Amino acid sequence: MAETESESGLKIVDAFDLDPELRALLRPGELVEGIGGQYHHLPRYFYEIPSHEAAREIRVTPHFGLNEFLLVDLKEAHRVRAFPRYIPCAIRIAAFYLERLREAAGAPVHLAVNGGYRSPAHKLSVAATPHMWGTAADVYKIGTVVLRDRASIETYNRVIEDLTDDLYVMPYGHEIGKADDHIHVDLGYVTVVPREISEDRLEGAQDKPRCAFEERRRGDRRGWPREPLPEVLPAAAHAGSTKSESQK
Amino acid sequence: MAKPQAEPPEEAEVRQSVAKAEQFLYASVLAIRDRHELERLGIAFYDAETTLQWSYNADAVFHAASTMKLAVLLAVFRQFTRGELAPEEPVHVRNKFLSICDRKPYMLDVSRDTEGEVYERLGRTMSVQQLAYHMITSSSNFATNLLVDVVGVPVIQTALEELKIEGIKVLRGVEDQAAFEAGLNNEVSANGLLKLLRLIEEGKAYGEDASARMREILLDQRFKSGIPAGLPEAARVAHKSGNISTVHHDAGIVYLEGRKAYVLVILTQFASETGARTAVADVSRDIYECLAGMNGG
Repeated sequence: MAETESESGLKIVDAFDLDPELRALLRPGELVEGIGGQYHHLPRYFYEIPSHEAAREIRVTPHFGLNEFLLVDLKEAHRVRAFPRYIPCAIRIAAFYLERLREAAGAPVHLAVNGGYRSPAHKLSVAATPHMWGTAADVYKIGTVVLRDRASIETYNRVIEDLTDDLYVMPYGHEIGKADDHIHVDLGYVTVVPREISEDRLEGAQDKPRCAFEERRRGDRRGWPREPLPEVLPAAAHAGSTKSESQK
Repeated sequence: MAKPQAEPPEEAEVRQSVAKAEQFLYASVLAIRDRHELERLGIAFYDAETTLQWSYNADAVFHAASTMKLAVLLAVFRQFTRGELAPEEPVHVRNKFLSICDRKPYMLDVSRDTEGEVYERLGRTMSVQQLAYHMITSSSNFATNLLVDVVGVPVIQTALEELKIEGIKVLRGVEDQAAFEAGLNNEVSANGLLKLLRLIEEGKAYGEDASARMREILLDQRFKSGIPAGLPEAARVAHKSGNISTVHHDAGIVYLEGRKAYVLVILTQFASETGARTAVADVSRDIYECLAGMNGG
């Protein structure tokens, strides 16, 4: 069973079960290259957030709502912005550390727009960034301090570095890989496999026909239109193929 | 051999009246140029009521200053009309832009911008239509740069080309100091802006609806020291001004009770120390008086 419910009542989904458009945007399990040349697998398991109200109401930690990690502008793909929305399950870990940062700072921590989860289709997702894993946050304000100068950014960067070795903070600066109008903090490329999920399904991006069969099975369940069969094969071959697939 | 037909007396009268108006305008424009010590002056004018079209140095290219925002507005509405952008789409209000010159990031100087409403939303979002409104009505540089990023410079140029508007060149957003120092500036001519505003007035800038919505925004203009300052109080003007240290422009559609609108563009350039701030209003007044005279007003 690929869909299940988490403790918070949010449905956990295997992104391979999503409709083709969303799957193409979220690219579950796909390898993407980071700026340093390392490759990482994109997350596969997501929380499904049914509505704007749910995003606003559900607290991931005492002080962080789910909506804070979903705040994006038109740089995010239109379909990804539409409810139900999907956010990697690792968001809980990011929120846990942000809660600790809030305690250490003694003030509310404000995430910037596009500062939480960004799908691989987001225009700022040019290379593998932990934002695509839901494990990064761009903080533009702490308490009443707007973070747009060296002093404020370096002060809070130090607070984070003193807090834990688990978090990476971007140094102050104007170049790529540095930040001058926010604090970037991340946990790296952490993926979460919820305990409710079984990982024995091999549904990576593989060639047809196995994938095509899987897709059709899911499609039947969800009422998607079927793709026409290739015309090069005779009708009998289609029938045989279908039979052998169903016997697997 | 047929005898040439005599011109009807009314037509001859009109022709004389137009010739007199043109002479009057030419003389008064030269006087204004001298009085305000203008280095350059460009004017283009079209009156839908009399179909009078008049220009002075109208193809000369000037630093666009904030009149380039008209081209950005046009591009935004192009995208709305094509369904490539929705008016309510959220845009992250972030004060960080890339120079077209060296691709290095730069920030806008908050103290230089003409309104703080967009800055108050720093870190949050505003809709595309809200930004378009602030870009025009309070000439917000911040809103302009955000919209230039949203639609992209190539789309702005495409919009101008699609509508066959010549004489307007948009290369970048505003306050890009590195580009300014490298001489990479947005440019406009009086004829270019006249064409753009005529299309809006005639409902031909991406359709009646888009044109009407652009007119509505332009009518809410807060800065009235240019064209409106030379008009009676009852006049309504859908316009966009542009001021930097050495230029003062205004381009607008003038609506007066009981007659069709006229479109007027006035571009002025002067030595920075002279600060010829009333030249635009003076030209606007002369044109209004000239039209009033022609109409027997």
